Amino acid sequence: MLEKEREFFKKNLPELLAKSNGRIVLIKGEELIGIYNTPEEALSEGARRFGLQSFLVRTIAEKQEDISIPALSLGILNANSAQPA
Amino acid sequence: MPILHSQPNGQGVNKAGQVIAVPPPVLMQQIGPCLQVAINIEKSIADQLIQAGGRLPAPQQGIALIDTGASVSCIDEDAAKALTLPIVDVVTMISASHSSVPANVYPAHFQLVGTNIHINLPRVMGANLKPQKLIALIGRDILSRCTLFYNGLTGEITLSM
Repeated sequence: MLEKEREFFKKNLPELLAKSNGRIVLIKGEELIGIYNTPEEALSEGARRFGLQSFLVRTIAEKQEDISIPALSLGILNANSAQPA
Repeated sequence: MPILHSQPNGQGVNKAGQVIAVPPPVLMQQIGPCLQVAINIEKSIADQLIQAGGRLPAPQQGIALIDTGASVSCIDEDAAKALTLPIVDVVTMISASHSSVPANVYPAHFQLVGTNIHINLPRVMGANLKPQKLIALIGRDILSRCTLFYNGLTGEITLSM
């Protein structure tokens, strides 16, 4: 899911970092829709343009957030994902 | 400051086959600190849909486990699909059984049932929680805005925001 958008983000990250480090990007397909100050602004614009279709909203940063959920990652709760591994 | 005070109630069957009440401290030790939540579409997206004349799906209600070990909150994948939440990112989580597990990220809105505590979450992680009879995990992204008291002696939790 969102393969094109994530690839576009990766490819354009150096330029995005140089111009807008720490801000929020909205990407659909291989198009940069806009750069916003808050996730809510990006979500609002994404919903206005694309309704409930999927689109990428991500903070422009060198490294993406670390997700730590031991209950899932250690198998204490089921860690099955909807995404193929 | 809205406050939620919760004490679990439950029944079990003893060796003689009689249905008995399980004391709240025992129940809370077994199931953990749980709350009833109603999940809906994230507010800024919901506002846009309403402006465009669309209708919002009915909220999904269920049990959420407070998980102080989770850095972000999670929503059950089936509940996210029922709410037609858009996928807004994919993140990677290291798992015990796989080297890494990709997980969908959704924007959602949580309400603690029976309170006016509303929590707007631009990013919650999708996970298969239904087998655990859970609809959500309440992680430290939500707890960072709350005061939480866990009283194991009485089997009560108090959450204020």
